[in-house]
Amino acid sequence: MQSRIATPRKEMSQGALALIFSAPAVLIIAATILVPFGMAVFLSLHNWNLKRPGRERFIGLENYTDWLRDSDFWDPLGTTFTFAILAVVVIIIVSLLISLLLNERFPGRGVLRALLLVPWAIPSVVNALLWKWLLNPQYGLVNAIFFEFGIITEYQNMLGSMPSVMIWLVIAYSWIHIPLATLLLLSGLQTIPGDIYESAIVDGAGIWQRFLTITLPLLRPMLSIVVIFEMIFALKVFDIIFVLTAGGPADATNVLGWQIYTETFRKLDFGAGSSIAMLLGAITLALAILFYVFLDKGVEQ
Amino acid sequence: MKQRARIRLVIIYVAAAMLLAGTVGPFLWLVSSSFQYERQLLNRPPQWLPNPIVLDSYREIFEGAVMGEDSGVPYQSRIFLRSFANSFFVAGSVAVIAVMAGAYAAYPLARLRFRGRQVLLFAILASRLIPALSLAIPIVLVAKRIGMSDKIVSLVFINLSFILPYVIWLLQSYFKTIPMELEDAGRIDGCSRLQVVHKIILPLSLPGLTSAAILAFLLTWGEFLFALLLSESPSSYTSTVVVSLFATDVDVSFVSIITAGVLSVIPPICFALIFQRYIISGLLSGSLKG
Repeated sequence: MQSRIATPRKEMSQGALALIFSAPAVLIIAATILVPFGMAVFLSLHNWNLKRPGRERFIGLENYTDWLRDSDFWDPLGTTFTFAILAVVVIIIVSLLISLLLNERFPGRGVLRALLLVPWAIPSVVNALLWKWLLNPQYGLVNAIFFEFGIITEYQNMLGSMPSVMIWLVIAYSWIHIPLATLLLLSGLQTIPGDIYESAIVDGAGIWQRFLTITLPLLRPMLSIVVIFEMIFALKVFDIIFVLTAGGPADATNVLGWQIYTETFRKLDFGAGSSIAMLLGAITLALAILFYVFLDKGVEQ
Repeated sequence: MKQRARIRLVIIYVAAAMLLAGTVGPFLWLVSSSFQYERQLLNRPPQWLPNPIVLDSYREIFEGAVMGEDSGVPYQSRIFLRSFANSFFVAGSVAVIAVMAGAYAAYPLARLRFRGRQVLLFAILASRLIPALSLAIPIVLVAKRIGMSDKIVSLVFINLSFILPYVIWLLQSYFKTIPMELEDAGRIDGCSRLQVVHKIILPLSLPGLTSAAILAFLLTWGEFLFALLLSESPSSYTSTVVVSLFATDVDVSFVSIITAGVLSVIPPICFALIFQRYIISGLLSGSLKG
């Protein structure tokens, strides 16, 4: 919006003002995001291992072609997608159910909505610690509850084997991600005018029919945004893996985030680590664009 | 009809009870565990409520911080309080600086016409798409070379850049909601642009600035990757790093680990509940409005 007041002559142009006002923030962002990004591209094109100093040299795309031929890339990629898809599905279904509940009027609704912020505020590392305790093979609450209800006959190491480790990892991860998704979906639900439902009721539409023909189509733009957000987050999962499973057992939860970490900071191969990180970034970006175009088209129809 | 209304309410409250158990249950169990004796934690079936209430693990952390090695408590417990203070310092500094720098950057994006406005807006948003892991590699390398590794200031700087785009986005959408007439009135009275920002925009944006500051604090408090990679000693460990040191060590007692977990979520949870209105509005406008 341009000001309707004529600019006094002594004042500088809007462009110059914009430059000065945004300079501190832009400089900080450039120094810590753009410059490192350029360096990461540089590193990914080099043989750069801290264990063998003095042997750094330019190797072109060799790091990339090496990864693309290596099961150490494809296996974690598959694990990452398994995890991300499961997590997004769980998060979307549960937060849709919760937001439908919180969209109803009933005493206590405000308190419930506020308490959603409890899991949201828990840092991912503490969340991992919490679930490590809940899932403890000898003393964990989950084992105790399952045992008392007769679901299992003896205590088990839930994080010790597939597929249970993946299931519990998804549950633990989703627990702190559901609240934000719920709040977003709830705000989407609240934009749907109530009289649409009323006229549908007059027309004799049942609850399930109303959900399919009114709620879901009108919620679709918000649903698309949440799916894209959650997918981007889930693809770069790292914190919870670090504390809860360390990629194990036997690489069952070795996602790309963990692979990058071990490659770079344990094996100290910065070139290989940078190139696999670039691959993850490219995949994430491509998916975000694909989803955006695909889901956006769906909305228009 | 009355019958149906009653059924509806029953269904709602059953669902609400399940939701309540799901949202706060796991965390309350962590709190309850932290007040028990280690041997009570090993009971089958588990003991739901602490009886008696045991504060030993909390005392350990305070004694460890004061007495150091003489206290005989595990290493992680001794360094925990220091990391807690570090987290406050980092998250607090990031919140203050991000809102200050962010407000000045957000104003032109919301109100001024200049070439490159769209590009700047897009660049700020796009910078959030680059995975932190790929940036972490060169950042760690450079920090080590120039002697900025293991310094708490580096953590402030790095976190700032991840929070700033978010804060700018949130604030520019907030500034747009302030009526243009107010700004015009100020201009007629002879205010410069800077005075307009200081005397009109910022005071009227207090709720938006508060949301941004709280979100910046909470996001920084929970940050783990850079805190892990850029710290090498207790002088720069944040609480998330020490929590991870606890959680991955099999020799420390369960109750100490749990207590560290509880303590490190008390600030974010208190903040979240006290300022819930600001947080919810910030979360919604930050991710939605253009």
